[in-house]
Amino acid sequence: MVAARDISRVFEMPAGPVHALRRVSLAVDAAEYVSVVGPSGCGKSTLLHLLGGIDVPTTGSVMVDGVDVGSLPDNARSAVRLKRIGLVFQRFFLLPMLTAWENVELPLAESGVGRAERRRRTKDLLEYVGLAERADHRPAQLSGGEMQRVAIARALANRPALVLADEPTGELDQATGAQIVALFDRLNADGTALVVVTHDAAVASRAGRTIQMRDGSIVGESHRS
Amino acid sequence: MIRRAIALAWLRVRREKGRTILGVAGITAIGALLFDMLLLGNGLLVSFRERLDRSGFDVRVIASESAVIAGPPIERVTAKTAILRRAPSIAAVQRVRLGSADVEGVQAAHHVTVAGVDPDALVPWSMIDGTFPSVGGPPAAIVINRNMSRVFHLMVGSRLVLEGRCGAALHPLPLQAQVSGIAAFQNDATDALTAASSYAAVAALCGESDSDRADMLLIRSNAAAGGADAAAAAARAALPDLHVLTNEQIVERFSRIEFSYFRQLSSVLTAVTLFFGLLLVAVLLTVSVNQQLGEMAALRALGLSRGRVMAGVLCESALLIGIGGTAAIPIGGMLSIWLDHILRSLPGIPADARFFVFTARALAIHAALLVAGAVLAALYPMRLVAVLPIAETLRREVVS
Repeated sequence: MVAARDISRVFEMPAGPVHALRRVSLAVDAAEYVSVVGPSGCGKSTLLHLLGGIDVPTTGSVMVDGVDVGSLPDNARSAVRLKRIGLVFQRFFLLPMLTAWENVELPLAESGVGRAERRRRTKDLLEYVGLAERADHRPAQLSGGEMQRVAIARALANRPALVLADEPTGELDQATGAQIVALFDRLNADGTALVVVTHDAAVASRAGRTIQMRDGSIVGESHRS
Repeated sequence: MIRRAIALAWLRVRREKGRTILGVAGITAIGALLFDMLLLGNGLLVSFRERLDRSGFDVRVIASESAVIAGPPIERVTAKTAILRRAPSIAAVQRVRLGSADVEGVQAAHHVTVAGVDPDALVPWSMIDGTFPSVGGPPAAIVINRNMSRVFHLMVGSRLVLEGRCGAALHPLPLQAQVSGIAAFQNDATDALTAASSYAAVAALCGESDSDRADMLLIRSNAAAGGADAAAAAARAALPDLHVLTNEQIVERFSRIEFSYFRQLSSVLTAVTLFFGLLLVAVLLTVSVNQQLGEMAALRALGLSRGRVMAGVLCESALLIGIGGTAAIPIGGMLSIWLDHILRSLPGIPADARFFVFTARALAIHAALLVAGAVLAALYPMRLVAVLPIAETLRREVVS
């Protein structure tokens, strides 16, 4: 599905280069559920950004479905993100002037899905995340958990094979976070590969495989028994 | 891609009401001023041309390039008029002699401009009441404008005595005249006192009954024989020592010389107005983009291309400027009517002159400037989203 080979990411800062990621390799198979844990600043989000093709490694390569996304031009990389990868952010990043329905429909429209099919899939997705009755509400009218569920529905719009989530429960209380975790469980059970970056042990424990990171490197890996 | 960008931009414009109202109101106000500047920039010229054409004559002959009254007269005008009348491309010729006079018994502050013409030729005014007889007198038949009628309480049939203030004679004999009609003269200012009589009567008024001179010859061309250009060519060939100008040449000269300062002023004001419009939209869009960097980065992360998010900003700019610019047209139009009224009431301005004239050209330039404005105003915010580092912005937004 996605394979990072020996990737490093160096940020050039005024005080000198910062090595956010050092020669990391990671492969995620189809329908696999992987969590990435580690202290703040250990490179978890950077790894996620590189896996998702929203950043390119300084060295090494990230292959999505056998294609080196780092070598693709910006437009082609955008197309890979649009159609093959779903992204869920800690701060949801829903468009505030759009309703829940419109936020979910947006990636479908951008990938050229026809109007009737868009309506059907948007309806299905909002039902999937349990927000059909909140379809006409704008983000400001939704709770944090609801916003994150809309963001997950949006991430699933183009039926990606891989969903990447960066601290998806970071802004939510425990009970709401549990709803999101349950939603991820269902998503994975339905065949979607998931990589979730989290500080939350409860979230991490749901994954089949947990990657531990420190100082830009993978320092451990455990499998759920 | 553009259709989706327009759809999303339209949603943003509709739903972010505060920003939209502010932007559209600003653009409407600025656009109305811009539209008025464009109407003003060409309006006087268009109005001038219309007034020349309305006179019924399309070629003018003068003795020198200087203004009619300031320049020397055309001598031996009777023979020259006869020569011109023989040209096939010329349909009618009128000689005009200009003088000024006081009305006897009325305070001298009321000077009257008097035009002397051939009564049996085409005359350069429109009759409102009465007639202008081709023969008659004494007393001399005189046509007056409405101002004269009102100021001196004259009507058709009234008698008056004019004391000439023109020509070489210091104290010419007063002219006994009788009002035969009331007319609208082409170049009358709102407060002008104008009269017209026969060429001979005005010559007598100026104490030059034995002279044969005129200030100007007016020619109406024969449209079937080549129009104004052919008539002007015939006049130039027949009278090589005189200056012959078609209406088009007069307008061109006016545009090049007298009107150039006016146009420069209008251009500067147009540029300043447009600049402020650009600034307003650029600031609005830049602030808007800066407030939504996280959402922009998320859109890019979700798979929207760089071109797509740039198109979104451009479409927002186009919508704000398009809505405001369209609303500016009727508002600018109404404003121009009001401003035109103010300017036309200035002393010495011909009553039928217009400063703000609506033309398709002005509308097209307005639209073109707005399109250019929408693109220019969007350039900086488009650049902001184009160079937005996605991962870094997402990280920064979360940290902040």
